[in-house]
Amino acid sequence: MIEIDDLTVQFGGVRGLSELTARLPESVTGLVGPNGAGKTTLINVLSGFVRPTAGRVSIDGQDLKDIAIHKRAGFGIRRTFQNEQVVENLTAADNIRAILDNVPIDGRPRTALIEQALEFVGLAAKGNVLGRDLNAYQRRMLEIARAMVGRPRLVMMDEPGAGLAQHESEHLRDVIRQLHGHCGAQVLLVDHDVDLISATCMATLVLDFGSAIAYGPTASVLAEPKVREAYLGMLEDAT
Amino acid sequence: MTDQSLEGVPSIRAVRFPLRWGVLCAAALIALYVIPDALSNYWLRTFISAAALTIASLSVGPLFAQVGMVSLAQFGLLGVGGWFALRISHGLGAPFEIALLCAGLSAALVGLIVGLPALRMRGLYLAIITLMMAGAIQVLISAFGFPDGGPGILGKSTGARLMMARPFVAQSDQAYLRYAVVVTVFCYLLVLAHVRGRPGRAWAMIRRSEVCALAGGVDIVAYKVWAFALAGFLAGVAGAVLAGGVGQLDGSAFPASQSIMLFALTIVGGAYSWFGPIIAGLMLRAFPALLNDFRVDGNIATMVFGIGLLHALITAPHGIAGQLSDLAGRLRRVLGRERKAGP
Repeated sequence: MIEIDDLTVQFGGVRGLSELTARLPESVTGLVGPNGAGKTTLINVLSGFVRPTAGRVSIDGQDLKDIAIHKRAGFGIRRTFQNEQVVENLTAADNIRAILDNVPIDGRPRTALIEQALEFVGLAAKGNVLGRDLNAYQRRMLEIARAMVGRPRLVMMDEPGAGLAQHESEHLRDVIRQLHGHCGAQVLLVDHDVDLISATCMATLVLDFGSAIAYGPTASVLAEPKVREAYLGMLEDAT
Repeated sequence: MTDQSLEGVPSIRAVRFPLRWGVLCAAALIALYVIPDALSNYWLRTFISAAALTIASLSVGPLFAQVGMVSLAQFGLLGVGGWFALRISHGLGAPFEIALLCAGLSAALVGLIVGLPALRMRGLYLAIITLMMAGAIQVLISAFGFPDGGPGILGKSTGARLMMARPFVAQSDQAYLRYAVVVTVFCYLLVLAHVRGRPGRAWAMIRRSEVCALAGGVDIVAYKVWAFALAGFLAGVAGAVLAGGVGQLDGSAFPASQSIMLFALTIVGGAYSWFGPIIAGLMLRAFPALLNDFRVDGNIATMVFGIGLLHALITAPHGIAGQLSDLAGRLRRVLGRERKAGP
């Protein structure tokens, strides 16, 4: 459960987020909006990379301002990046092990956790392959595997579907749909691909100019006229 | 976000062939036993210094290759280690091993201070700051000199200079060379344990990018500081090995320019390879000695190093060690092809 209250982020004269208030209880939530709407800013606030100017964010009742940036992974806030951040000179398995070094593992053997995560994202055979030798899709999957090990509460994905081929995109959908059941984490998905959002997210929050303009079940939210207007830039009276 | 000018070159490779390495170790042990007895005094001392400089280069390599940070203060830290080793050895009459350890620890502490700017700076600015630290250390060392058996904190004697006590098991030059090589091996193992363990993974994440490390829960401050402390420790140990080898140290022998030379030759030798520091150590000490042996001015070595650095930066980011391993790989492929083509 993500609770956002009056969240404002000011970058100089620009407002990244403007008094955003939302409650996001669903296990897979979409976050959409036109470019510059504040989607990535919201993710960065949750990750701790951006400090809010005002307002408050909490996850499972815990106020995030009390958690230092590098402790958030251990608390359970995980993410993938728009520009993937796989470590090239570590193997796929070591990429995951590097995360397990810093998060609770409940006494389970690391090797088993790593194998499990690799298998879940379809990289079971790639454990010993260096990050640099993985293709773009495999790297994307490895990032997801890194984000889901060791008791995550919230997995945020920033445009995981960008630039994927058809069959890869389908596999990605399966992975996102099963993620909550597999590790219990809430998923927050940012993407421009409305098909991906509709296929995976129970609820969707739409941002525009840093504020929420709609929230609710994905299908009905995406059908709302003001959402279509914000996305497609159409004026209501022009139609 | 970190210095990634040599991005895309391989990390230090893991040991994969236990049997082959077993044979290599046995051969190395035999060589270690036989070779020192065959060397002249001049070459013994040269190789002792080369072993110390190998450790010094080993302190530069991981910092650069693993974390992507440049320290140009490492030769200064060598001096710090040497100073404390001499001070403790002369002042307390402590065994060499204690002096060695204290030298490492004190240089680690100073290295940690050198590394503090690294928490805020990177790339060229960090390099310049560390170079200024090396300059500060140079001023202190040339002002106060090294302890040589005298009284007081500075330990300067007015009469005859005393030699630093060597390890109990390694009084002769031959034995001390063996001892220095063993210390070098221990330093290598220390670095290996770091690189293959938790710090190595955290450093790799930091080198990838700081957001990647933060999102992965890495305490960037702690691991950067730890990297600098480890590098300082190794430089300090190198200083103690050098002090033990020569018996005393010269106050003018630790200029900041030597730190630049050490860094440059680590790049030439190959910062990303386990053999790189050995090549760097040999180039720093054995190569000038070799030139002297041929009655050529050893200072010409500096020119050769300059050309070598240009060569490394332009054509061989893996350094000489990388080129050697490329060559070995090519030979293996050629041999493999011949074997296949044969009966």
